[in-house]
Amino acid sequence: MTTIDDLRTTFFDECDELLVDLESNLARMEEGDADVINAVFRAVHSIKGGAGIFGYDGLVAFSHSFETVLDLMRQGALESSSAAVATLLTASDMLSDLVSSARSGAATESEGRAQCQTALERLAAGSGAGDAPHTSGSGAESFDDIAFTPVQSDHFESTERHTIIFRPAEHAFQEGRDPLEALRALGQIGEVEIAADLDGLPALPDLVVDQLHIGWRVVLETAAARDEVERVLEGLPFASIAFPDEPLPSSFSVDDKPEPGDPAPGPAPTEPPAKAGEDERANEPRGRDATQRSTARIDLEKIDRVVNIVGELVIAQAMLGQIAQGLPDESRGQIAQVLDEVLHHTRELKDSVMAMRAQPLRTVFQKMPRLVRELSLKTGKKVRLETVGEGTEVDRTIIERLSDPLTHIIRNSIDHGIESPEARIAAGKDGEGVVTLSAIHRGGRIVIEVRDDGRGIDRDKVLARARERGLAPANAALSEEEVNNLIFAPGFSTAATVSDISGRGVGMDVVRSNIQDLGGRIALHSQPGAGMTIQLALPLTLAVMDGMMVRAGEDVYVLPISAIVECLRPQRSDVHALIGTRGMLRLRGELVPLVYLAELLSAASEARELSQGVVIITESSQSGRLGLVVDDLLGHQQVVIKNIEDSYGVIPGIAAATILGDGKVAFILDADKLADLAAAGFSPVRGAASAGVFSALSH
Amino acid sequence: MPYAGALKVLIVDDQNSVRQMTRLSLEEFGVRNVYDSGDGASALKFAGSQPLDLIISDYNMPEMDGLALLRAVRAHPVVRRLPFILLTGRGDKELVIKAAQAGANNYLVKPFTAAALREKIEQVVGKLQ
Repeated sequence: MTTIDDLRTTFFDECDELLVDLESNLARMEEGDADVINAVFRAVHSIKGGAGIFGYDGLVAFSHSFETVLDLMRQGALESSSAAVATLLTASDMLSDLVSSARSGAATESEGRAQCQTALERLAAGSGAGDAPHTSGSGAESFDDIAFTPVQSDHFESTERHTIIFRPAEHAFQEGRDPLEALRALGQIGEVEIAADLDGLPALPDLVVDQLHIGWRVVLETAAARDEVERVLEGLPFASIAFPDEPLPSSFSVDDKPEPGDPAPGPAPTEPPAKAGEDERANEPRGRDATQRSTARIDLEKIDRVVNIVGELVIAQAMLGQIAQGLPDESRGQIAQVLDEVLHHTRELKDSVMAMRAQPLRTVFQKMPRLVRELSLKTGKKVRLETVGEGTEVDRTIIERLSDPLTHIIRNSIDHGIESPEARIAAGKDGEGVVTLSAIHRGGRIVIEVRDDGRGIDRDKVLARARERGLAPANAALSEEEVNNLIFAPGFSTAATVSDISGRGVGMDVVRSNIQDLGGRIALHSQPGAGMTIQLALPLTLAVMDGMMVRAGEDVYVLPISAIVECLRPQRSDVHALIGTRGMLRLRGELVPLVYLAELLSAASEARELSQGVVIITESSQSGRLGLVVDDLLGHQQVVIKNIEDSYGVIPGIAAATILGDGKVAFILDADKLADLAAAGFSPVRGAASAGVFSALSH
Repeated sequence: MPYAGALKVLIVDDQNSVRQMTRLSLEEFGVRNVYDSGDGASALKFAGSQPLDLIISDYNMPEMDGLALLRAVRAHPVVRRLPFILLTGRGDKELVIKAAQAGANNYLVKPFTAAALREKIEQVVGKLQ
């Protein structure tokens, strides 16, 4: 049973879609295209209408002011200048905020809202056309002076309307039967309206003159009861007569209904020609995008439940595989065959469920044109945004967390990368800079690139700044790549004055850690004078992860593959003792601190010997490279991520848990936090303050 | 006097939440045969294929708006006399006049209560039983 609360949810879902439409159309407003203005108006109007029905007065009042301005633009009384569009964009943000606060039940009154509404009202007043102030909650108005057409028939009182569909047999003429007989007979008991159904009419060459190809649909308005009508028809030589008057099984949506052999009348000659086209359009998908046609809204929780069950299934199946290993050979062969099949199906099931959670990146990409527009206005630079692959799908949890990093990267590109038009022309480039945002699936990951054709990274400037900030030693000889990567260092900013564009509180270091939190990697390529590309490689989902199973002491851990740079068995001679550390590994000229995983997580107390172990080089944003020493590598496996924070709280160095094939629980390591733990123990700078943490862990 | 339980009503609105709310209101006073459609073109097609007693259509819809649907219904050979109530925004007198001229049987301002909806329907089709 549908309740009002369900409908509220539906309404807010619609609002989300409308707001996305609004946003993308607003960005095209200045072109002054009537269709665009209409679409913008409609979106706001629909939000207002729904808000009224569900009693969100604040939302109604605000969208009313918004709508008034749009209405004036629609009528041509107000020009959609860039200043006006800027106000509308702010209003669209405010509308979006109001929708979210209505959804969460928070208070909707704020100073920003009042200001924005005043700005809208001023805009409307400026057009001179004026608008009656909105009075919410006033009683239904009535236009008594307007005369409406009274209902022309009184069939609610005394007559009944029957719809009768004739489909005479094709050979009716050959048997000397005349369908007109039936139509006349009906005409005698009431008023009839007849429309021919020409759907069965063949093309002219296929027409057989003595065959009846057409049918009729008759609407009969009569005082006679249904059985009387049937009696009239009984005497007629037509078998195929249907009364579709029976109420349809239950209430339903027209749009859900399967096509019932299409009993709709063909276009009759009296109809205006435009109608035929509209009739045909009914068969087409409604939206602009055919892929939107048959969709169902499913509560995310339900999908998540299926994801969890699939996870359990993967585990159960791995356990089954292990049990099968222990069976005698003859039965194992048979079971292995079936298991293979189960494996195949589980994988498909997993992929299908993950695909359900996937969404196109469009929702994130659509926010960017507006950002670029605002930035180019603010900076006075001319910038064009090109997007490629916005239909690429990725898990929605990732989409939700991509918006901020992408926004920042684009800000950064425009603020620091793209030059002013004059500088560009002087450098022999087009005055208009191009920022390209692209997405592609590659090797089970999604790769998103932000590319600009600006000046690229000014390495000297970056290096000077890094030295000034103490981020790079004054005498270190850094490679080009290392210099480029300095922009990801915490506390780095090359702009002499922090502009209000890039300086919104986050630096590229935050971008990098956001991406790493998602199990992704960020890479940067810069070509001085020609531009810069920032590439993000992200997993397609956060529910299943590629992990390396490692053994440390008695325990098995899983390390995310994305955190691993390389694995090696070092020579004894490559390890250098250094006081306060468990050794430094010389790796291609660079010293990497070694950390014994078993000691770090106090999994074993006896001292480890490096000669038996494997070193996994990991990289983290804060502490750089770390050599994690484990006892053995057990192999690469996809693991289902199980959250443990809810049950056990935060465990340092542990991100989550998973269940292995033998039913044992293994912890998934958090490479960044491990590095922090290690740093707390080893770093000569920070070690003193927090050495206690490390010793507590290692003993 | 039409019997509410037998009344066949088609709701046309591009917003699903509004359609469903209207449906709830209708059900509140006993209308059981409620159909709904998200756009004018399929509503017109449906009206031409099924017996109906009333269309309640929103005005503000993409492609074919409520007024265009009304005109198409009035030009349709079979359903041209079908009672039609247009849903409008507050204070849009011009639209109401246009609707009346195009042959609407009444109008109703959104948002509305179940009681207001019933009142309008009764003005159009007669007191409901």
